[in-house]
Amino acid sequence: MQRQDFTIEKKRYRRALVVGLTLALAFVLVYKLYDMQVLKGAQYGSQSQRNAIRRVAKDPARGLIFDKDSSIIVNNDISYTLTITPFEFDYHTLGELVRRFDLDSTVVTVRLRHGSRVAEFEPVKVKRDLSYSDIVFLEENKHRFPGVNYMADIKRSYHMRPHMAHLIGYVREISARKLRDDSTGYYRPGDLIGYGGIEGFYEKILRGAKGYSFYTVDARGKVIENFDHGQEDIPSVEGSDLVLTIDLKLQSFVERLLRHHRAAMVAIDPRNGEVLCFASSPDYDLKYFTGQTPLRVWKDLIGNKDRPFFNRASMATYPPGSTFKPLIAAAALQEGVITPATTIYCPGSYTLAGVTFKCHGAHGNINVVLALEVSCNVFFYKLIFKLGLKEWYRYGSMFHFGKKTGMDISDENPGVLPSHKYYMQRYGKKWNIGYLVNLGIGQGEISVTPLQMAAYTAAIANRGTYYKPHVVRAIIDRNRGGAQPVDIQQERIPISDDVWDLIHKGMYRAVYSSSGTGGSAALGVVRIAGKTGTAQNVHGRDHAWFIAFAPYKNPQIAIALIVENGGYGGDAAAPLVAAAIRYYLFHDTYTSSLTASPDSSNAARDSMHIVTEP
Amino acid sequence: MKTNHTSIVRQLDVLILLPALLLLAIGLVSIYSATLSIPNQSFFERQVIWALMGIAIALVIILSPPRSIYYSAYIWYWLAIAALLTVLIAGKTVGGNAGWLRIGSFGIQPSEFGKVATVMALARFLSDSSTRLNDLRDVGKALGLLLLPWVLIALQPDFGTGLVYLIIFIPVMFWAGAEMFLIIFLLSPVIVGILAVIGLYPFLIAAVLLVVIFYLLHRDLGISLFVLVLNLSVGFGTQYFYNALPEYQRERIAVFLDPTRDPLSAGYNVIQSKVAIGSGGWFGKGFLHGTQTQLRFIPEQWTDFIFCVPAEEFGFFGAVVVIVLFLIIITRGFYLASQCDSPFTSILVVGMVSILLAHVFINIGMTLGLLPVIGIPLPLMSYGGSSLLSTMIILGILLHSNLYKHRSE
Repeated sequence: MQRQDFTIEKKRYRRALVVGLTLALAFVLVYKLYDMQVLKGAQYGSQSQRNAIRRVAKDPARGLIFDKDSSIIVNNDISYTLTITPFEFDYHTLGELVRRFDLDSTVVTVRLRHGSRVAEFEPVKVKRDLSYSDIVFLEENKHRFPGVNYMADIKRSYHMRPHMAHLIGYVREISARKLRDDSTGYYRPGDLIGYGGIEGFYEKILRGAKGYSFYTVDARGKVIENFDHGQEDIPSVEGSDLVLTIDLKLQSFVERLLRHHRAAMVAIDPRNGEVLCFASSPDYDLKYFTGQTPLRVWKDLIGNKDRPFFNRASMATYPPGSTFKPLIAAAALQEGVITPATTIYCPGSYTLAGVTFKCHGAHGNINVVLALEVSCNVFFYKLIFKLGLKEWYRYGSMFHFGKKTGMDISDENPGVLPSHKYYMQRYGKKWNIGYLVNLGIGQGEISVTPLQMAAYTAAIANRGTYYKPHVVRAIIDRNRGGAQPVDIQQERIPISDDVWDLIHKGMYRAVYSSSGTGGSAALGVVRIAGKTGTAQNVHGRDHAWFIAFAPYKNPQIAIALIVENGGYGGDAAAPLVAAAIRYYLFHDTYTSSLTASPDSSNAARDSMHIVTEP
Repeated sequence: MKTNHTSIVRQLDVLILLPALLLLAIGLVSIYSATLSIPNQSFFERQVIWALMGIAIALVIILSPPRSIYYSAYIWYWLAIAALLTVLIAGKTVGGNAGWLRIGSFGIQPSEFGKVATVMALARFLSDSSTRLNDLRDVGKALGLLLLPWVLIALQPDFGTGLVYLIIFIPVMFWAGAEMFLIIFLLSPVIVGILAVIGLYPFLIAAVLLVVIFYLLHRDLGISLFVLVLNLSVGFGTQYFYNALPEYQRERIAVFLDPTRDPLSAGYNVIQSKVAIGSGGWFGKGFLHGTQTQLRFIPEQWTDFIFCVPAEEFGFFGAVVVIVLFLIIITRGFYLASQCDSPFTSILVVGMVSILLAHVFINIGMTLGLLPVIGIPLPLMSYGGSSLLSTMIILGILLHSNLYKHRSE
């Protein structure tokens, strides 16, 4: 029966062929398995994670802000936000949503694309501050818009009289740019983030930390259970509350005081660096920026040529003018360049290499105290040459000029404190000693912020302790409870008490002496020490400076004020500072000194016999 | 008689028996894992019952008299044809296929058993001393034996199982001594016809390729040209009739042939299956800890996608163990076929092994995304009584053949 086809040889040949083919097929399978499981295992692994475990973010409530007396000034209101979950969303309904909710379809599309890339099961926030009718519409039409929903969210509400707009900053949806720069990956489109001021600086503390719940889901996206019984869940951390150092009454008073000026005033407690008031005028009302800003308000603010959004208190810089003279005097005395008895002759002008620099009077032979009192320019023209740029710069740096004060707000301009290096970089070898002359009277390349000036004034007032200005006194951690005071940071400026005596005397006499430049700040109820300044302005009228502290013997407040285009500091700025000091110390709204002419206040002062140095 | 049975059990081929039992165990464990998260079900228990029934049937086959398969081959074949006709007339539709017969609470798919019966009949016919494989009439008869059940299955329609019928025809004919060119000549119109439904280029490329192979094997330009013309007319004819069908029927056929056209159902399965397997890594996520499996990302994973379970939960290691176990059975089967003195047994064994090989390669290839999802089960592992019983019959036949390999008819 043995057939020709079934000889041993033929069967072996066929067997070799079929077994070879079988092994080849097995190799294909094993190789593919190796490729998928070993080479691409990690990639498939993360895909399987994404598949099965869904993360849902939980936004904590943002921290609140209290004033120093623990009354609430920035609160949270409930707000409803429209959300779309990319995974469930039917893109055919986008058009109708855009029309109904007045959405920007580009923004929505970009967010959904971002969302579906990052986490397609997480709801994407699309529009904030939904109205009641929007919610009703969503509830009634839920079935027609798969993946479209709304969630409870917060919006800021403000409960203070003063605006404090630049100080507080604002909260709004994160911008595309900030989102791109966020290396932590914390934020999602539509998340709130603090911009500017305290909201910006304390963003991480105020916002807390999002929590995440993990759910395992089946193939249809239906939640089956808490993943790992919720053990992997990350609870959200509530934002911490802030207690401010701001004196709301003073802030309010100052904002009214500055209402018709382009001006900025910062007041600091010289005993600890607490910021008592921080005002920039004109400003705006934060309440328009909690939800949808009315177009009319927005246009008014944007169109205002006085730039209400500009934070003049810590972002604008001006030459300090004569308010810088106490610093130069202190440096020269401390370095032994001059003694209290050293006199410098002022003929009314100073000529250097054919250029004449004027003084506002011929003061004759004057010492340092008198030079501060009358704000003699020639004295300081000549003094700066004795002191030299290096020492001038070194002392300027000690008072944080040319660098940030480090105050706890997100926007601060360091200003410019020119050094030798600065001039070399800017002008090369062309610059000469003539540039120094202007620095002697706080003009020229130097520029400072009102905040820097207030901190400087506070350091003068407390005789050489430079407190880092701060507006947050304590942070209340809602999880641990209790207010944690903020550490007060201070630097000691090595200037001796004798020097301070002379500086204080000069600044006192500047206010109370009949020849002083700050006479319009003179108060009877409390003794003030101050210094006027005029920042030269090539674009128009000069800016008026006044710095002051009070009470003279035991200073409790140090103030710096700039009034843009105010002209002479003694006229435009000094009376406003005096009013603020008087209000702060006595809560007295008596403002006759505001309207009184310098002459009449001098008369009043004379009659009170307090001109004599105490 | 009893001692005789015991000695038979002792003589069973361990290299087939042991891997088979191991695979059966892995399959049961995998079904347990895949269906754990489904409440109120009894897939595992039912599969255990099927497995016990399968072992019983395999034992009956092993203990049957030496030449019983040879004599009963045509009886089984016609019984299978009758069953296929019955389901076609009075069948029950499960999962889109109307290929089920209901016996009590258990469903049976005659097409699974039809494969075995068809191979029996082919082996019987091809081993007949009067059959001449260089005679076109005899080859035509063999093709008739194949195409009769194939047409009935294609009408259900069950494309996957039908494809296995066509594939196993090639090794069976080859082993029986047919020239390769003949096999290609016979099958090329069928292949071209199917590809013509998918598209113009697939069928044109296949037609040309098949003719080139045909010419290389059988250097006769005239016949080669005839084959080319035949293939092209079949292809264009199919396209013509296919395009004459209503849109929805065309779409149904197209999705049937190419499931990735419908990513939400069949294509989705492949994506999830690949993720399940890929995420297994070297040693897997641990038994009952495969997230894809436990969270049921693969619909009805316990049937055609059961391979994902060991691959996800035991990783590359587990997957290779499964493949190696199948490889042992299959190579051992081919070895056995080469040892059989009887042409009938030899062809029968090759046919049985080819069924296993086709199923294993197509099923695993499909879960790995190498092959289109045509819905055929993985022997010994996939949930389902018909598949398991028919595999147990195949194994019974292999073990039975091994006992009497040195007997010739």
